[in-house]
Amino acid sequence: MLAIFKREFRGFFHGMMGYLLTAFLAASSGLYFLALNLGYGLTDFSYYTLYRTIFMLLLYVPVLTMRSLAEERRSRTDQLLLTSPVSVWGIVLGKFFSMCAVFSLACLLDLVMILVLWALGATATTLAANLAGLLCYFLLGCAAIAMGEYISGLTENQIIAAVSSFSVLLLAYLMPSLRSMFNAGSAAALAVFTGIAAAAALIAGLRTRSLTLGCGVFTLLCMGLAALFVIQSTWLTEAFSAVLEALCLFTPFEDFVNGSFSIPALVYYLSATGLFLFFCGMSLEKRRWN
Amino acid sequence: MIEVSHLTKEYGGRPAVRDLSFVVEDGQIYGLLGPNGAGKSTIMNILTGYLSASSGLVTIAGHPLPEEADQAKACIGYLPEQPPLYLDMTVQEYLTFAAELKGVKRSARKDQVLHAARRTGLEEVLPRLIRNLSKGYRQRVGIAQALLGKPQIIILDEPTVGLDPAQVIEIRKLIQELGRTHTVILSSHILSEVQAVCDQVLILSKGQLVAIGAPEQLSETLSSHSVVHATALGTRDQVLAAVQSLPGVEKVEVTPSFKEDEVNLTARSATGEDIRADISRALTAAGCIVLSLTAETKSLEDVFLELTGAGSDQANTDEPEDAPDEDETQSTQDAPEEKEAGDDAGEEE
Repeated sequence: MLAIFKREFRGFFHGMMGYLLTAFLAASSGLYFLALNLGYGLTDFSYYTLYRTIFMLLLYVPVLTMRSLAEERRSRTDQLLLTSPVSVWGIVLGKFFSMCAVFSLACLLDLVMILVLWALGATATTLAANLAGLLCYFLLGCAAIAMGEYISGLTENQIIAAVSSFSVLLLAYLMPSLRSMFNAGSAAALAVFTGIAAAAALIAGLRTRSLTLGCGVFTLLCMGLAALFVIQSTWLTEAFSAVLEALCLFTPFEDFVNGSFSIPALVYYLSATGLFLFFCGMSLEKRRWN
Repeated sequence: MIEVSHLTKEYGGRPAVRDLSFVVEDGQIYGLLGPNGAGKSTIMNILTGYLSASSGLVTIAGHPLPEEADQAKACIGYLPEQPPLYLDMTVQEYLTFAAELKGVKRSARKDQVLHAARRTGLEEVLPRLIRNLSKGYRQRVGIAQALLGKPQIIILDEPTVGLDPAQVIEIRKLIQELGRTHTVILSSHILSEVQAVCDQVLILSKGQLVAIGAPEQLSETLSSHSVVHATALGTRDQVLAAVQSLPGVEKVEVTPSFKEDEVNLTARSATGEDIRADISRALTAAGCIVLSLTAETKSLEDVFLELTGAGSDQANTDEPEDAPDEDETQSTQDAPEEKEAGDDAGEEE
């Protein structure tokens, strides 16, 4: 794992990529820091700089992660990794940590800005709040990186990987507004769940190449949904809203911007990271069996 | 030692390898021979743990796959069909990375990298970027990578494809050297290469093992019928009458020779036994003097074409060009293209 970590990390700085990405993120947060924190003397770094530049991660993360597994697969170097005595998890984690290390460089620059604020007279409480915000920002980035790595492992093409991760991140970014749109009523929830049931039935049918099974799955799921809709329609709307809430990757960070500290937010990001890394390892493992 | 039993691999329902069983003994060079699409690369990918078998058992040096995959992988050095190179690294960096990946201790890493580079003739290009290396050098970097970590078994997938004749000879020499200290498995669709390098040959066709044995042994035992060519002094009828009456002879052809009074005779034995003595005796008894008498031994190429079913007409057109000088590089360079043409024809059937 260490070998892969070192190679990947050096790889980012062999070319322009590592420097360019770090400069990109540093420039955006530097600009907000200069204009808001320094210009107006606002000490809340989490809100005025990190939260306001968070959309930069939508571009940063896909470009950072697009190469990771897609390029290995295209150039067939995955054969070297997968036939060496390193487990799949070693490969996935080695790559993940190397990308987190690149991301942490940008975060280190943010740390410098926070220390500058402190040196300029911010209180110790603000310093602590700002550091907590930075920690959450870093974990949010790591979760997004894990997601990007997973998507990169699904394709051979870097561009497809980048566009897909961008779309997923954009969806997660816009999810709070989308959620309020869907909250209208249980009918909308029913329609969406029916759509999910149809997709599940289609996948089941295609995997087993059996029309009967696909139709059977769809009928069963629809009957279940209809029953639920008649008996307890509020469950459906609540479940729907809960699912959508879990997809708002950027919302838990808001808990940190008003000077508070939220353990659930950290747990959410850590579990999202773990989940995507698990998916990533499984998708690599699955390719062996196809 | 590698043991494979009842190995089957399917890609989306289409079998690439079907019910394959064989044992690879230590300290020998094995050649996997087969036309394109016969399943050579699939087998190698399964042996190295890159792919998993759909069913069947694979044991590498006592470690079953995939249960003890990490231990099994540590016993194997693998050069895939396309060398797995990071183009943005120098040869030195790449080999050091590969050594670390294979768990070579920090203290031994530098020595092993240098040793592998020396064996594959890479010392001069160590500080160069792999991107800037020619195909031959890239192939050698791939082989050097397979040597790192001192594996017992080295698996090379088509190691000489795309190399120039001098490089082909060098790589073959290297493989023979490696064969003294390691078990080597290489795949090829070039017969002369397998014949020149390997101790044991496995011939594959359409995902199935059709023959296994030493190259000479294969050529000998697999000829189901023996054919005798003879030149005799006498008339056509005389010769025909003398030979046709023999009990072991199945088919006789007599053609006039360039010289007067001489005829060429081709006789095929029905049972596969040696009929040279019988023919000589019969001809002498009929008053014809035997000028020459030879038994036709099948070349590995004939065996290959026969077993893989690559068309009999193809065999006839190939023979005169390839047969005479199989060990020379010229023929090696011709062989792949001709073989591929043959293979394609075979697969379309």
